[in-house]
Amino acid sequence: MTGREPDGDIVLIDVVHAFRQQAQSLRVLDGLSLTIGDGEFVSLVGPSGCGKTTVLDLMNGLVPLQRGTLLIGGRPPAAGRPDTARMFARDALLPWRTAYANIDFAIATRERDAARRDGIIRALLADVGLSGFEHAYPGQLSQGMRQRVALARTFSLESKHIFLDEPFGALDAQTKLVLQDQLLRLWERVRSTVVLVSHDLAEAVALSDRVIVMSARPGRIIADMRIDLPRPRSATRLQAMREFHELYAQLWSELERAVGPPS
Amino acid sequence: MTSEPAALDVPVDAAEPAPEPVRQRRWMVPAGRLLVLVAAAGGWEAMARLNILPAAFIGQPSVFLPLLVHQLLGGAILRAIADTLSATLAAFAVGGVLALATALVLTIAPPLRAVLEPYLDALNALPRVALVPLFIVWFGLGALSKIVSGISLMYFILLYNTLAGAHSVDPDHVRLARSLGLSGQRVFLRIVLPTAAPSIFAGLRLGLVYTLLGVVTAELIAGGRGLGSLISYYSNTFDANGVFAVLVVLVILADLLSGLMTRIERRLTRWKQ
Ligand SMILES: Nc1ncnc2c1ncn2[C@@H]1O[C@H](COP(=O)(O)OP(=O)(O)O)[C@@H](O)[C@H]1O
Ligand SMILES: [Mg+2]
Repeated sequence: MTGREPDGDIVLIDVVHAFRQQAQSLRVLDGLSLTIGDGEFVSLVGPSGCGKTTVLDLMNGLVPLQRGTLLIGGRPPAAGRPDTARMFARDALLPWRTAYANIDFAIATRERDAARRDGIIRALLADVGLSGFEHAYPGQLSQGMRQRVALARTFSLESKHIFLDEPFGALDAQTKLVLQDQLLRLWERVRSTVVLVSHDLAEAVALSDRVIVMSARPGRIIADMRIDLPRPRSATRLQAMREFHELYAQLWSELERAVGPPS
Repeated sequence: MTSEPAALDVPVDAAEPAPEPVRQRRWMVPAGRLLVLVAAAGGWEAMARLNILPAAFIGQPSVFLPLLVHQLLGGAILRAIADTLSATLAAFAVGGVLALATALVLTIAPPLRAVLEPYLDALNALPRVALVPLFIVWFGLGALSKIVSGISLMYFILLYNTLAGAHSVDPDHVRLARSLGLSGQRVFLRIVLPTAAPSIFAGLRLGLVYTLLGVVTAELIAGGRGLGSLISYYSNTFDANGVFAVLVVLVILADLLSGLMTRIERRLTRWKQ
């Protein structure tokens, strides 16, 4: 490659994306530029329909890039790249496979050695507090437990770049905190680059190094705020910390300045 | 075990006793079924004996049931059963594999499906009985023409059931598989087929019974060996009891095959229970 490669682990330059909807062109992303550093945990927040999932689909190679530049680890995105992992909004567990077999479904695409896979799966199930549930089918697990299996599945891939799409959107407030802490623990061990999509500002502040706020469609970046809370963090313990609430309030006021006062 | 907080359930009023569940004894349903069968056979017998309907037309259970037992012991009907059953299983297997292969191609290539669908619908609308004489011309009087007749039913039943089941695939499952780098064929085998499993099994069960009927229909027309040929022999000799004896065998056969499919289905879809 040329020497003019932009720095950063994930780089978007002037990404434009439009979907065809009923013979009309719907512009979803309008010149999105963004640089994410190696090992950075970045959240993407914004109103529903502003194109957050589309950004992840582009990074994941599930939707082809139309215009602009997009580099993941210096290379264009592609579906099935072993250095990328994706977690979906609802758990996306396969109901006909046990918790164990659901994780194996993913990891078997990357790891040939069955004994090594077994070790990784059991360790991860233990990490998310699901030892003993190896043989449970998703239908027998609570939503929180299912989401934990999905989390374990995502981290079992040991990917350098992880894309999480509203992973805790379907959970109640308390379960959410528990799962956020589990995510933090898993991530702090590997420090991969994470792009988390969320519509929950508090979640974004609690988990991230940086929160990026997108405007309503067509999505542009209207705020980009560093979160300098110390690590390792715990979302549960942050709830009682003044700095956390100050950052949260600051993010809100930046949002208000960007979109104007509520009418 | 889990560290998740339990939901704050409002406690149920413990003072009120739970209603006594209606007790149903396990033998009641089979006994009731047997009763219906005995009553029907008794009524049938009575109609024939009292000459309300002539026995020569409707047969007589007291004649065809012993005849059936006699034939089973004699082995004549066993050979016919073996002949019909082997053709049925061959048609079931070949038609089933062809149907799944077609479903794979049509699911992976939606444009192809759009092109072919009206023609498949048209073929499926053809009455099979009308095609059997053609099958006989093309494939001769032997086993092949009745196997093809069975396939012509099995294929469409399983194809349509598989496509209908594939329709309910969770788009997130497909996106997950694609993000893991699975090919279209793998996505079909690992995601679409398991999703469609309940509907595929319904198709297999229905298809098995219809394949049997397709084979018997061909035998009725082509003659030769097999249960259909026996029916046609007895009806040509105006032997109503002989016809009913074979029909009882057919019913039992269809029921056994269908029960077998249900068992296999329970085995393979244990995650649903
Ligand atoms: N495959 C598609 N075809 C047409 N429109 C789409 C498609 N995917 C998403 N859209 C539209 O693009 C917009 C952005 O979608 P999405 O990226 O899912 O938003 P978000 O995740 O921020 O809620 C929405 O208006 C949605 O309806
Ligand atoms: Mg979304």
